[in-house]
Amino acid sequence: MTLRSSLPAAKAAIEAVHLVKRFGTTVALDGVSFSIARGSVFGVIGPNGAGKTTIMRALLDLIRLSSGRATLLGTDSRNAGPELRRRIGYLPGELILEGRTTGRRLLGHYANISGPVVQGRVDDLADRFGLDPDRTVRTLSKGNKQKLGIVQAFMHQPDLLVLDEPTSGLDPLMQQEFLSLVSEARDAGQTVFLSSHMISEIQQAADEVAILRDGRIITVAGVEALRGSAIRHLRMSATGVGVAELRSRLAPLTGMAELDCRSRRPAQRPPPCSAVRSRRSSRRSPP
Amino acid sequence: MTATSARPAVVPAPLERRSPLPVFTKSLTDSWRSLVGWSLGFIAALSLYLPIFPSMSGNSQMQDLIDSLPPALTRTINYENISTGAGYAQSTFFGLMGFLLISIAAISWGAAAIGGDEESGQLELTLAHAVTRMEVAVQRFAALAVKILALAAVAFRMVLFWNGPAELDIDAANLASTCLLFAGHALVCGSTALLCGALTGRRIWGIGGGTAVAVGGYVFNAVGNQSTDLAWLHALSPYYAAYGHHPLIHGADAWTLALFYLAALVLGVLAALTLRQRDVGV
Repeated sequence: MTLRSSLPAAKAAIEAVHLVKRFGTTVALDGVSFSIARGSVFGVIGPNGAGKTTIMRALLDLIRLSSGRATLLGTDSRNAGPELRRRIGYLPGELILEGRTTGRRLLGHYANISGPVVQGRVDDLADRFGLDPDRTVRTLSKGNKQKLGIVQAFMHQPDLLVLDEPTSGLDPLMQQEFLSLVSEARDAGQTVFLSSHMISEIQQAADEVAILRDGRIITVAGVEALRGSAIRHLRMSATGVGVAELRSRLAPLTGMAELDCRSRRPAQRPPPCSAVRSRRSSRRSPP
Repeated sequence: MTATSARPAVVPAPLERRSPLPVFTKSLTDSWRSLVGWSLGFIAALSLYLPIFPSMSGNSQMQDLIDSLPPALTRTINYENISTGAGYAQSTFFGLMGFLLISIAAISWGAAAIGGDEESGQLELTLAHAVTRMEVAVQRFAALAVKILALAAVAFRMVLFWNGPAELDIDAANLASTCLLFAGHALVCGSTALLCGALTGRRIWGIGGGTAVAVGGYVFNAVGNQSTDLAWLHALSPYYAAYGHHPLIHGADAWTLALFYLAALVLGVLAALTLRQRDVGV
């Protein structure tokens, strides 16, 4: 499954070799290998249940691999000590935060464990996201809790960020803010490993993307290559042309996968005729 | 000089210091409310029971009432000895109401410490930070022990407070060792809850395990009291090990005390080892 030549251990932020995880008879990860260069942003996308969260939890040693091994920042992930964990920022996919305390106190607790945190850093991050850290966590909306989780992952400026669906619950404006935070982190030499089920988000943020399905990596590619191979659905309507003629004109086009032409009923006009076209652009002939 | 003080951004940003034992501290500060609540419960229970002792002991009707009860019942609820101050405090508080309160407190804290935290989903994020699982388990066990000892200290202070006014005539040294036993027994129940929570990642199993030790011990003691044929059940009862030899009257045996705290420690270490081995949050 290794689609890229392995980087030397010193250069790779994450080096995963044939990760296998079974839960009973279910195979959650079926031999996943990848490596992430330091200072890059690596995205993983895939449908629900593909194994994105399992990879991240295995890297953080929250769950133990059935076989395979992973190296994070040059240290074996298994039973890794506090020294390694201090250099990692983690945002769980299903973020549960203690509700009774304020955001600031909660962040202070995590900073106590994983610090030091530069003074004022928490306020800077909170300001960027429009988050009030002095509110009780319980009273925060889902999106605001997510912001708190993001601040929690970034505040101690870790060398490696592992972010599981980081933008879930954020509004589009905050998603953009998050993406700029990610690119700043990359510029500062930090490595970011993030998952999403939204291809657009990954395209904006990541240098490289792995597509995961059923616990296997289908492909690892640069973002541009991924964009080129995406399926796009197009719908168009035309007037002054019959169904048969439209079909005969559209069908020969390169990359056309499915074509559905139908005429609208007379009551619904204009247009009298429409074509639904979905096309798969081929790599040989760009659109 | 004035220029630099007017522009603090030039000064290297100070770092927030990392405190030692962060998990232990957090565990204690999080539960100060419940600690205060349980302490008030202790104070209330002791202030209801102990002051009425003079009217109970001097009142022959009360003794007549106890004597008229079926002996099996008085043995079950350990009410045989209530004519002395020590026997009264043992029967009403240490053996019954206080035992119930401190067991519930210890079991709920123990079950929440790992099993409850994992079930709610918060343990995952804590473990992703710069602590080992061993540290988390050990520091939470230590916090549990401190909280239970604090409750026992409240009981000690309150009994000592009422000792004179209520004419209980309890020896302070015996009271101290009884309170240590009282805490040791609760700590064993709480540690069992901690271990069962760590084994399963579920709060309810922790509560079940801790309750089994507390209630099982109480029941074995009560049944064992009924006849010499059943007295072997005492061997299975932590409750009997703690209170069967009337520590308020005779003082607690040092070996018994050591055994309780050692057992709790073993349970705590087992919880840490268990947590180290398994997948968290699945």
